[in-house]
Amino acid sequence: MVRAIVLNSQDNVATLIDSGGAADTTVELRGEKQGTVMLKQDIPFGHKVALADMDVGAEILKYATVVGETTAAISVGEHVHIHNVDSKRGRGDKTTS
Amino acid sequence: MTDTFLGFERSDGQVGVRNHIGVISIMDNVNPVTRAIADSVAGAVPVTTLFVRGQYGKDLEMAYNTLAGMGRNPNLNGAVIVGMEETSTNIVADRVRNTGKPVETILIQEQGGTVNATAAGIRAASRMAIAASRERRKKFPVSELVLGLECGGSDTTSGLASNPALGRAADRLIAEGGTAVVTETAEFMGAEEIFAERAVDAGVKKAFIKMVLDHEAEAMKAGVDIRGANPVPDNIRGGLTTIEEKAMGAMAKTGTTPLVEVLEYSEAPSRKGLHFMAGSAPAVESLTGLAGGGCQLTVFTTGVGNTIGNMIMPTAKISGNINTIRDFPDNIDFDVSDILENDKSFTEMGDALYDYILDMASGTITTSEALKQQETAIMRFGMTI
Repeated sequence: MVRAIVLNSQDNVATLIDSGGAADTTVELRGEKQGTVMLKQDIPFGHKVALADMDVGAEILKYATVVGETTAAISVGEHVHIHNVDSKRGRGDKTTS
Repeated sequence: MTDTFLGFERSDGQVGVRNHIGVISIMDNVNPVTRAIADSVAGAVPVTTLFVRGQYGKDLEMAYNTLAGMGRNPNLNGAVIVGMEETSTNIVADRVRNTGKPVETILIQEQGGTVNATAAGIRAASRMAIAASRERRKKFPVSELVLGLECGGSDTTSGLASNPALGRAADRLIAEGGTAVVTETAEFMGAEEIFAERAVDAGVKKAFIKMVLDHEAEAMKAGVDIRGANPVPDNIRGGLTTIEEKAMGAMAKTGTTPLVEVLEYSEAPSRKGLHFMAGSAPAVESLTGLAGGGCQLTVFTTGVGNTIGNMIMPTAKISGNINTIRDFPDNIDFDVSDILENDKSFTEMGDALYDYILDMASGTITTSEALKQQETAIMRFGMTI
């Protein structure tokens, strides 16, 4: 069994707390949301899986707090990480002045 | 009933949890002499430093404050302060003498070189070590403890297990009248408004937000994307995506008590309760700041594994990552993996951690002490000239 923990019921991501999260694995949700989610791709221990479909520019919610925004559309069961999420803070390289 | 630990009473009223003799460098030039002295004397620890000579303004002030603060730390029974010449050495030595603890200075230029200086230092440190060994531990209330809260090599388990457990332990300590200090300013970027809500008053709230925004502005001035430095690559491999996500996890180790005071790097708390200390995020620099600010001990949570401690301030490593517990056992002091593995509560594991902290305060040594994984580095902003 592969488990994923949800820290707040508003969150749109869950965190895998077991290894073995290969594509097509059904993951059991723990914490503040119950149910299951089917992984669309391999997701390592400690990494996040999407619980909702999201467009580009959508907010990622964890601890009921915005922890980043999507840079690509993400669908339920996909890996959520630096390839499709960007920080909203600390971007000195994007400051024009 | 008041919770207690066994500590060493100091003449300035502070309580040490260790009884070392500190051999403290006043600048990088003298580090080899400092190491030679400390290597030759049982119970002596080397406090070396880089730079200082050639630093100016805020950086020089911060370096002197930190070296003096480490000398003043109650875990040091006495201090041998090693410098080149009298003026710069006494800037630090005088501030350590104010505590009433034994202090001797070794001035390499006056001694006529490193051989004579090393001999004089060994003689001074050995006399202090013998005198220190006559001290006995006595029972003190937990309110005498100042605990550093630190994380490094963070991964998702830090925010899910070890940081919330440490938060619970910090709440217990503060409920008993104790003090805790959290640092690593950049770890709060993205979560500063949420943490600021815990400030006791508007002044503390404003000071905290200013501290975080100033730090961010300083980094932005370089025109770089600081995400390359924080989260660092091992954080990212562990599953942390953004600085905001890391900040939310980091904040969990502060528990739930109000933020009572905002401190400069290596500044000592002036009251009881939860403090925030400005400081850079790398572990060696933040541990040095905590030791310089008078923390007697630190609990350091780690996800993927971090090894480093401080020579004057015992530093315990705790992890909630079962893989790290299995594969990295030599450098872990306390296992909270049952939170994720066996559905144990943060409260239960945090209470067990609190008991361990009191043991550590009473003399149980940590892996970083047993394996001598100890280093110092003082935070800096500018170049040397």
